[in-house]
Amino acid sequence: MDVVQLQRQLVDYKASLYNEAILDEQFTQLQELQDENNPDFVVEVVSLFFEDSERLLNELTKALEQQNIDFKRVDAHVHQLKGSSSSIGAQRVQKVCIAFRNCCEEQNVQGCLICLQQVKNEYSLVKTKLETMFKLEQQILAAGGSIPV
Amino acid sequence: MATPLRKVFDRISGFASSWGRKTAPRGRRIFHRDVEQEEFQYSSTRCLSSYYSVFVARLAIMVMLAILIGLLTILTWHFTRVYTTKSLNTLAYGLRYELLQRPILRMWNILNSTSEITTAQVKLSEYVIRRYSKPTNQAEQVELYQMMKDITWALFASRKALNAITINYKNGFVQAFHRDHRSNNTFYIYSDLANYSISSSESYGNKMLESRQGWNDQFIRGNVSAIWYREPLDPVSGEKIGKAMQIPPDDLINIAGPSQVPDGVASWHVAVSKFTDSPLLSAALPVWDASNTSIVAVVGVTTALYSVGQLMKELVEVHSGYIYLTSQEGYLLATSTNAPLLNNTAKGPKLMMAVNSEDRVIRMGAQWLQNAYGNNLPPGHVVHVEKANLGGQHFYIDSFFLNLKRLPMVGVIIIPRKYIMGKVDERALKTLVILISASVCILVIGCVCILILTNGVSKEMKLRAELISHLDARRRAEASSNYKSQFLANMSHELRTPMAAVIGLLDILICDDCLTNEQYAMVTQIRKCSTALLRLLNNILDLSKVESGKLVLEEAEFDLGRELEGLVDMFSVQCINHNVETVLDLSDDIPKLVRGDSARVVQVFANLISNSIKFTTSGHIILRGWCENPNVSSDSAKFSPDHKKPLYALKAKLKNHGNHMKKASKRDNKMILWFEVDDTGCGIDPSKWESVFESFEQADPSTTRTHGGTGLGLCIVRTLVNKMGGEIKVVRKNGPGTLMRLFLLLSTPADGTEQQGQMEFAKHGVAVILALHGSMGRLIMSRWLSRNGVPTLEASEWNELTQILHELFHARTRNSGFETHYSLGEPLRSKVHSIQDMRNPVYIIVVDLGLLDLSTDIWKEQLNFLDKFSGQVKFAWMLNHDTSNSIKMELRRKGHILMVNKPLYKAKMLHILEAVLKERYVELQKRSPNGTKGTAKEGDSHECLEIDSTQFETCSSDDSDISEIGGSGTDSVSSAHTGDQPRVLTLKSGASNCQTLKNCLVELTNLDSEVHNLRADEDQCNGRPRGNDCGNSNSPEQTSISSSTKEREKSYTSKAANGQKSLQGLRILLAEDTPVLQRVATIMLEKMGATVIAVGDGLQAVDALNCVLGEEDRPQTEICDSPPYDLILMDCQMPKMDGYEATKAIRKSEEATGWHIPIVALTAHAMSSDEAKCLEVGMDAYLTKPIDYKLMVSTILLLTKTSSA
Repeated sequence: MDVVQLQRQLVDYKASLYNEAILDEQFTQLQELQDENNPDFVVEVVSLFFEDSERLLNELTKALEQQNIDFKRVDAHVHQLKGSSSSIGAQRVQKVCIAFRNCCEEQNVQGCLICLQQVKNEYSLVKTKLETMFKLEQQILAAGGSIPV
Repeated sequence: MATPLRKVFDRISGFASSWGRKTAPRGRRIFHRDVEQEEFQYSSTRCLSSYYSVFVARLAIMVMLAILIGLLTILTWHFTRVYTTKSLNTLAYGLRYELLQRPILRMWNILNSTSEITTAQVKLSEYVIRRYSKPTNQAEQVELYQMMKDITWALFASRKALNAITINYKNGFVQAFHRDHRSNNTFYIYSDLANYSISSSESYGNKMLESRQGWNDQFIRGNVSAIWYREPLDPVSGEKIGKAMQIPPDDLINIAGPSQVPDGVASWHVAVSKFTDSPLLSAALPVWDASNTSIVAVVGVTTALYSVGQLMKELVEVHSGYIYLTSQEGYLLATSTNAPLLNNTAKGPKLMMAVNSEDRVIRMGAQWLQNAYGNNLPPGHVVHVEKANLGGQHFYIDSFFLNLKRLPMVGVIIIPRKYIMGKVDERALKTLVILISASVCILVIGCVCILILTNGVSKEMKLRAELISHLDARRRAEASSNYKSQFLANMSHELRTPMAAVIGLLDILICDDCLTNEQYAMVTQIRKCSTALLRLLNNILDLSKVESGKLVLEEAEFDLGRELEGLVDMFSVQCINHNVETVLDLSDDIPKLVRGDSARVVQVFANLISNSIKFTTSGHIILRGWCENPNVSSDSAKFSPDHKKPLYALKAKLKNHGNHMKKASKRDNKMILWFEVDDTGCGIDPSKWESVFESFEQADPSTTRTHGGTGLGLCIVRTLVNKMGGEIKVVRKNGPGTLMRLFLLLSTPADGTEQQGQMEFAKHGVAVILALHGSMGRLIMSRWLSRNGVPTLEASEWNELTQILHELFHARTRNSGFETHYSLGEPLRSKVHSIQDMRNPVYIIVVDLGLLDLSTDIWKEQLNFLDKFSGQVKFAWMLNHDTSNSIKMELRRKGHILMVNKPLYKAKMLHILEAVLKERYVELQKRSPNGTKGTAKEGDSHECLEIDSTQFETCSSDDSDISEIGGSGTDSVSSAHTGDQPRVLTLKSGASNCQTLKNCLVELTNLDSEVHNLRADEDQCNGRPRGNDCGNSNSPEQTSISSSTKEREKSYTSKAANGQKSLQGLRILLAEDTPVLQRVATIMLEKMGATVIAVGDGLQAVDALNCVLGEEDRPQTEICDSPPYDLILMDCQMPKMDGYEATKAIRKSEEATGWHIPIVALTAHAMSSDEAKCLEVGMDAYLTKPIDYKLMVSTILLLTKTSSA
């Protein structure tokens, strides 16, 4: 495929992400921060997010498997996850985190488990989407084009 | 569903209709089909029945017509032909019968007469012969013969028709008289006496008696010795006139002998003779002797049938045709033709058969009869044939039988058919053809006419159906439109209730003490939006009210001038960027208070002015107003003839209303207030001057694209104006643009206040110099001022102003040391001189801020220049609504306290003049009459005299934003805090009791830069001299402050893009545990040129600071060392030590050093409890996650700039 098609594909893809509320304007702000001084800013941040989130999710899974669940810990983790997801604009993850926190406050184990599952789903969704997007961008760059904003 | 039925019906009808018509059916069927198709396209069911009824009607009429015409034809045919034929036939029959009868009767007559003669002759002969029964001698014989001759002659002569009488004696003696009709000779024929003796006769006689047959002709004929003599006679007398001649016996005449009377009975037969060309009728009768035992003589009488033929000929001449008579065997006796009746054979003439007649017709007729009947003639021999085809022609043939005993005869009459029925026959065919064709034509025409005529009917029915459907549709449309407007009204009304509730609740919320600044800003925003929404709803309702004509104007007193001023102020804000100046020019005689519906009046002008603004890109918009009292004749030269119209109209109205109006007008003076909205825009095409006032009419459709708008504004305006008793129209003006003129009929309360006397100013010797950009406004203002006795000078540019000032003052003081760069024009100079001649003048210079060069720093120099005159002159400044407060502070600092927002109009001018005069007399500062200024009583900050316009409900949400922003902006000036409290800003209006002064937190509304300026100004007010100007330190401040945040943000990003690092040189400590956030914020801040140290929790943050502190272990005396970081971004939720704790710790440690590093909290929570918490621990600001980086930057800037000192 040629560059123009790829670019168009990318634009449409990004638009779809916004339309489906997978990403919000925080992500746009992130993209705006990227320039020639920080060429891979977005990728860096997103990778960071992935790492961090995975760590948090593991922690959460472990914490919720305990007999006596330490809701404070869970809450802290979720809080972190919420923060990081909101800062890169992973809106849906953030929303689920909010719900998760409510469950934690209520000390609702079942709810927490459900929320955890949801978070995981959302996270994997956003991860897949972002990875696809980055791949597209790589393709464009490889084909010699520039990433459309 | 109706289709198969219809098809069947059609077919039947097609058949039915084609029965009567020959040529039309197909066409008609096609026509019907077409009509059908059309009908189908409309609603089929409704029109179907009507169509069918028309169709059926047509069909019925056509069928009736066909039947009628058919009947007529048949009857006509019948009557014309049949009766005629019958009657003719009857007549013809009668005629033929009669024609035939006559010859037959004649024949019968002839026969009768012949027989009479014969009988007479016989009787006479008998008598005579009996007298001479025994003749003894010859003399007696001769005597006998002579006597016989005489009597025979007597009879013969008496009957001229006879052909011959013959007597044939037993003894052979013959006597005969003979007439030749052709030559008209009469002859007497006798035989020789010599041969005949008496003696011998007896023997013969006896012989004869013995055998009757013995006396036969043979005897006579065989007697060659007989000699006959013929002697001509005189036809009349019978005398012999010629010599007797010898003729051979039996030559000329046929003497009837005993053979003709075989039975002694009379006999008739047809004979022929040489001397005639026609058959002869001969009769023979025996003469008996006395004893009736023997025949003594035979008498023969012969008649020609000539006369019959003659009769026939006469008949035929008259009636035409052919008649002939035949014997029973068929021998022709007489004909009506001239054809010979006898065959001339070798033996002599012979009788001819009818079938052999030489006459064609007779021959053919006889042959036909023979063919038709042969010998089987019908009984009585009566034949009536009406149409015998003889050789191509048709003939009537009638035969009649005369049944005579002695000679049966048949008479036949042949008449060509065409002589009788010819015309009839001929005409019959023609008649038939004509009749049929005529009837067909009539039928066709009739059908066509029917179609045409009923077409009209069907069309009418169709039209009627359509009309009904249209009416129905219209009714439905109207009903739906009614429903819609009702619905709209209902809904709007219903929507207003919750909207009011929302606004009310928001008001309550605003008064809540526990709102954070951000919340307060949000709530205010919501309230603004709600108010805007409510306004929108009201507009919609108004629109529908206006459209439905149900608008009711309220009657209340309001200050027209103030309303219009407010309007102009509001609109001038919109014009700032478009270099269009709005000018208000109300004449002095306009009453202050009027009764009417203020909102509607303002709406009218708002609409007009907004239209003008839309279409004017440069120039001016003037709203002029003057009044005219119908009771007082006006003397203004402005009035043109068409102004008289409303005057007359009004007077007419007054007259009509009579006393009532007079009373009313005594109570309330009705004034005619004229207004004009004059703009220099693109103008309206004269042809459209009337139509622009129509609903939804735009003068130019493309304007909707460029300018927006629905086209309703002018319609509403006109309706409202008309409702207020006035009229509006577009008038011609010189120059580009539009001039709308309208007048309103408003009543002023009888106790109207007098206008303030401006004459006083003249007494005080005030002179005004107007240094304004807007030429129109300047002109109007100077004119007004001059009219009221205040001399005015005008300057449009800085240079002119300086010129004037030079002229005015330096010439006065006669300081010729100054360079006079500029020189004034003559008229100006004279004016200046005249002003200078004033005694103790008060100079007021109204300066437009635009005269100063604000883009560079020259304006400060300019201000300094103006300072020179500050002793002699009072300056009043015209500011824009968005003039930055730094400028305002600068102006105030320089001692200019009179500041007015543009545009300048009468009221403001008056205020200025008043203020100046008052100030002149009273050295105290005074509050502005409007009282929108804050209450900063506690501060020694200057109270700046800002004469601002009042707020309006009719403003748009955007505008109200501006004014409120402006309001709040200016409000906040007043609140100032001095002293030992940490330097924080409050941006709440002190005037409002609901607000409490907050100490710690910075409001992060969109007024950030303005806030920053205010902060700077507040420092100024606090009297702390600052080395650096507050003007140039902040580049963001210089960016144009627009009403939308987006632009501001854009300006920030543009600044970033331009490479200006706004956070250049800042050291920021970031305490954030979320790695993503950490990274992002780091990069962000580094982008902005800051140096970022990131730590992962509170403990590290504290350590970071302490490290530095620890290192820098300096003596306590040094206090002006800068802290290690300019700002700390502290996440609230962190492990080990959260933000709050860390802040507490840091603050604690700061006590020692006396620093105060600004700490900004980053929190996910935004509840008021969190805010309080932050406050408690000593944070300076907080940002909510997710972080708006621009906000973060601005906050940082804010906090860091103000802290640097």
